[in-house]
Amino acid sequence: MKTFEEKWTAWLDGQLSERELAEFEASLPDRAAAEAEKADVRKLGVLLKRELGVSAFANEEFFSHQLRERILESSVPSAKREANASTWWTIPRLLWTGTASLAVFLIFTIFVIRDKNPAEESQYLTQILNARVDPVVSPNATVSMFEVKQDRVTVLWTEGLQSLPADYAAK
Amino acid sequence: MQTEATLAQADVSDLDLVTRCQAGDTEAFDQLVTRYRTRVFGMIYNMVHSEQDAWDLAQDSFLKAWKSIKRFRGRSSFYTWIYRIVMNVTIDWLRKKQVKGGGSEFDDSVQLKHIEPASKTVPKSEALPHEMIERREIRGRIDKAIAQLSPEQRAVILMKEIEEMQYHEIAEALGCSIGTVMSRLFYARKKLQNLLRDVYENI
Repeated sequence: MKTFEEKWTAWLDGQLSERELAEFEASLPDRAAAEAEKADVRKLGVLLKRELGVSAFANEEFFSHQLRERILESSVPSAKREANASTWWTIPRLLWTGTASLAVFLIFTIFVIRDKNPAEESQYLTQILNARVDPVVSPNATVSMFEVKQDRVTVLWTEGLQSLPADYAAK
Repeated sequence: MQTEATLAQADVSDLDLVTRCQAGDTEAFDQLVTRYRTRVFGMIYNMVHSEQDAWDLAQDSFLKAWKSIKRFRGRSSFYTWIYRIVMNVTIDWLRKKQVKGGGSEFDDSVQLKHIEPASKTVPKSEALPHEMIERREIRGRIDKAIAQLSPEQRAVILMKEIEEMQYHEIAEALGCSIGTVMSRLFYARKKLQNLLRDVYENI
């Protein structure tokens, strides 16, 4: 449902349909005054068109040039933003890559060690003896005992032993 | 005299140019600017009555258009689309200016320049001095009358009377209903009739 203002405007601009026009004109209390008003509005339109219709636009080429410059400037910061954004994205990417690599490495190591251990298991069992050598006599001495399981042979391996204590003498 | 290049440019439709713009072709955008800069500037100038402000607002409008050209879907004409941007920028600026209330809206120091209609095709005829003074006075009266309208009313009356746009185009450019356009037009005309009756009665 159009308001009076809408109907009036449409009537002035010749935008009413035939039926709307007949209804609207029939509803006008003073048709002559309305027609005078219509002529008035047309004169106003002519005046506005004549006076405002053509405005000079000096330096229009400079206008375009300035706009091109601004477009260029606006695209440079956006390129910088993109560069910054890519730096920001690199850190998570690096983290993910690092984590993934570590995980792959761990999985690989576990499997390899598990697979290799049985094959490369030493034929010796090494025991570090708890026996302590006198640190004053032999400060760097280490004593290890190797036992070959199959042959039931035990090897006593000593290093850095400067002298054999007297009570170690073979009996 | 138009060169072959300019004739070829004139043959290219707005939509083709927009498509090229969307692919990042700034030269195509330059052509669109060349097509519409005078109308856009004139429209803004009639709303803000300051050459410098109109220049800046037209620049801002075109820059905004360039930045959002990828969102143009071609549902309306490019002309309507750019007018929507122009109106948003200009009305927003006018509202902020009204809120600030800083000084008179008119810049009387700015000498209005007129060019004769169709001056590019018809040899220019200089107006007589008294005619120029008279035209300036009339222009001043019109500008002051328009300044008394709300930004939205200004936009509607200028788009209807100067640009001869249809109601639906104005509605699209302003992002309002056709009924609102008609209503604003009604009040804008009433106000201008009261303020300018003596001017248009004597022409």
